[in-house]
Amino acid sequence: MPLLSRELYKYPLYLILHPFNGFWELKYERSRKLNLIISFAILFLLIVMKIMQTQYSGFLVNIVYPDSINSLMESLYVIVPVLFWCIANWSLTTLMDGEGKFVDIFTSTCFALVPLLVIQFPWIGLSNLISLEEVSFYHFFSNVSVLWCAYLLFVGNMTVQQYSPSKTIGTIILTIAAMAFMAFLCLLFFSLIQQMVAFVQVIHQEIVLRR
Amino acid sequence: MRIQNKLYLLLALTLLLGIGTGGTKVRAADGAESYNYSYWGLTTAAPAAYQANVLWNGESMGAGAFKDPSDFQVTADKQIYVLDSGNNRVVVLDDKFHLVRTISSFVRDGKEETFNNPQGLFVTEGKELVIADTGNKRIVQLDQNNNLVKVIEAPKSDMLSEKFDFQPVRVVVDKAQRIYVMSTGVYDGFMEFSPDGTFTSFVGANRVSFNPTDYLWKMLSTKAQRSQMVMFTPTEFTNLDIDREGFIYATNGQDSGNVKKLNAQGNDILRREGYFAPEGDIRYMSATGPSRLIDIDVGDSEIYSILDGKRGRIFTYDGDGHLLYVFGGLGNQMGQFNTPVAIERLGDEFLVLDKALGEITVFQTTEYGRTLNEAVRAYYNGDEDKAFTLYQKTISMNANLEFAYAGIGKALLRQGDYHEAMKYFKKSMDQKGYSKAFLLYRKEVLREYFPGIMTGILLLLVCWFGISKYRKWKGGKKVAFIKQRAV
Repeated sequence: MPLLSRELYKYPLYLILHPFNGFWELKYERSRKLNLIISFAILFLLIVMKIMQTQYSGFLVNIVYPDSINSLMESLYVIVPVLFWCIANWSLTTLMDGEGKFVDIFTSTCFALVPLLVIQFPWIGLSNLISLEEVSFYHFFSNVSVLWCAYLLFVGNMTVQQYSPSKTIGTIILTIAAMAFMAFLCLLFFSLIQQMVAFVQVIHQEIVLRR
Repeated sequence: MRIQNKLYLLLALTLLLGIGTGGTKVRAADGAESYNYSYWGLTTAAPAAYQANVLWNGESMGAGAFKDPSDFQVTADKQIYVLDSGNNRVVVLDDKFHLVRTISSFVRDGKEETFNNPQGLFVTEGKELVIADTGNKRIVQLDQNNNLVKVIEAPKSDMLSEKFDFQPVRVVVDKAQRIYVMSTGVYDGFMEFSPDGTFTSFVGANRVSFNPTDYLWKMLSTKAQRSQMVMFTPTEFTNLDIDREGFIYATNGQDSGNVKKLNAQGNDILRREGYFAPEGDIRYMSATGPSRLIDIDVGDSEIYSILDGKRGRIFTYDGDGHLLYVFGGLGNQMGQFNTPVAIERLGDEFLVLDKALGEITVFQTTEYGRTLNEAVRAYYNGDEDKAFTLYQKTISMNANLEFAYAGIGKALLRQGDYHEAMKYFKKSMDQKGYSKAFLLYRKEVLREYFPGIMTGILLLLVCWFGISKYRKWKGGKKVAFIKQRAV
């Protein structure tokens, strides 16, 4: 058991530093169940981090209207993009001779998000200890974490799908376009549902009032 | 079972993460009937700073009914000069609103001349009266005994076109006796006249503002079509006032950037450090639109007030651009107006001139308004201790007045109570002030705990070094042991 728990945090850290080997092992050598557990843990920690960021980040980097803080929405901001990315990527790569299964895509995406945790979590506390002049460090590091993530996503996608670099870049661009399309469809779907519900409601009201 | 319990605990903890400390209680004084804007752009309740208590009209002042008065001014010795445009006269009142005299004519070259629908007046420090005699297209300057000093007729200059029509509507005079004139149909700013009455230049033109789609259409259309279109012209000014240092405060008809403080070169030097730029209401119905400013009055300590003609409200700001208080409105009750045209200060009182009704409403400060005025003054004069206590008093009457917390914070910073100062800066959303206080606080804390922190770090280093040495030694022994066995 102690070995396993150590493995739980050691492997993601190894992966973000050695992405090529890391993602290869992720796909071909390691137990899928453990990968999934770690992935969900990463997502969970990301949600926790997001919530803590809005609540506990320093005053100089974080001014939010207190009434607008909503933990459920924060978790949606993490889950929905990841899910959209995975679905869009999976739908595209199955058509484009990708070798990744959905699970591979999901776990590689989650593992690629680890730099966000590693860098931004400590900065929640640190941002309370900086002055206005030092705020640029905060922004620098959060940008670094995002770029690092993007790099890992790229490598992860390349390794999992067994693509060439140029094809990976093309797929990523298409994935983003597909995500936008999905968002549009979702909005359309929800607004249509809303209209239908409203229609039924109005009819119900009409009948009730007629009686 | 235990794992399940732990899971529940974890879930509960996650849900708790979002819960922070509660906000402060809002406690406005009884009868909060005014409002202010919070940092978030929301309307917050505020106690009234001013209350109307007297209403004067021409008859009650003993001057006969006013007809369409359009401007008035209060002098340093508290005499009130009202320009009764419809009756072509100037009515002079004392601070008790008793008639002193009326001026309806003057003698020029032996002949008596009168005014024709004058729109603006200004009284200089030497109590010389300057009148924008709009109907006669001239400016008349009289000394305090009603003798003519000079008349400025329509100027001729290279800067003006042949067809230039001189229609002065508002005037101010600075300490050097230069006259600044706001004239209808002039888009280049105010006209500046030298003390001898010659036209020198324009100052402080407004920028041309236009809508991108209009611009696109204009680019696409032909020359013939373009000549039929409306020209993009800068907005006209709507009013002006001059402060003691000689800066001109002006309002214009734009939706934003409609208050300006012009220096001698005509540059806008108004400080806009409040949560929102000083431009009247920032929340309004799209049907009625933003405030339309029609008058501005500068008081002492850089406090200035603007009059919104659309809703009849008077907004007062301090020199940094923080909204202090709002009062007035359109209506039929006391303290509301029909067509307000001009505002003036009589000491700490406010006078509002209503054009259609020919009335002057007098507003007096409430305790809240008085305290706030005094606090801003004390702060402006650098008397931070006094400002501190006064701001404390103000926020005890109106906890929503966010910028006041920064005032307290600054006083605390000066006193050396950095931690407390940080709290107050945070309440007023002042990141700069917060950072300043925080840096000093951090230095203080570090100085206090530096020995402890350093010792701790050193101890940790020694421990880590020792442990790694020990491990190596033990590990080495193990390796040696394994090797031995292997052999």
